[in-house]
Amino acid sequence: MKIMTRKFGEIEIDKKKILVMPEGLPGFPGFERFILLEDPKSAPFCWFQSIEEANLALVVMNPLFFKPDYQLDLQTLIAGRDWKNVKQEELLIFVVINIKEGDPKNKITANLMGPLICNLENNEVVQIALCDSDYSHQYDVLEAISNKET
Amino acid sequence: MLVLTRRTGEKIKIGDNIVVTVLSVEGGIVKIGIDAPRKINILRMEVLEQIQKENIDAAAKDVTDMAEVVEFFKRKLSGEKED
Repeated sequence: MKIMTRKFGEIEIDKKKILVMPEGLPGFPGFERFILLEDPKSAPFCWFQSIEEANLALVVMNPLFFKPDYQLDLQTLIAGRDWKNVKQEELLIFVVINIKEGDPKNKITANLMGPLICNLENNEVVQIALCDSDYSHQYDVLEAISNKET
Repeated sequence: MLVLTRRTGEKIKIGDNIVVTVLSVEGGIVKIGIDAPRKINILRMEVLEQIQKENIDAAAKDVTDMAEVVEFFKRKLSGEKED
């Protein structure tokens, strides 16, 4: 099927890759169907694009690119959503990336407090809230990768 | 909104299997204990509000041209120093 996207204009997508957010996307009630779009030129940045609204697209990324020790306990989610036959390590994890303009140039933050958890077994995505963690909702990505030990 | 007055140690039952207990009240701070099935999602409201706000902020950004940001990110990731 064809959809309109914010980044890539009109594109053809595989219906089987449509992801559903049964609990919705916080801040955007009413939008439930999305697709994850990748572009080799922009990797590891991806787009979480609404199927229903072309203008609704969030930049997302696998947090392990800049925070290799990012750890979540997803057992509550797995039990709560009744996701059977899925192991925690099979779930895809993305975090919402916020690119801020102005000075300092290219400040990039990641919302580590509200990761998107994607179950490819049934194409469901849930954005969970980590209540009791120390993870920031505005984690400084560039500082993290600048200071990493090499 | 239903408003109930409770003393320390008193409880409220919600539905079949949620019990809220007032554990202590001290100087404007109420400590609450919640017994609920594991699958019930319990959140501090402000955490959810922060996540909503980050989503809305991120969606408002013009992300059609990412080339510069991607380039910058990759340079940083490969360990290149700015000076």
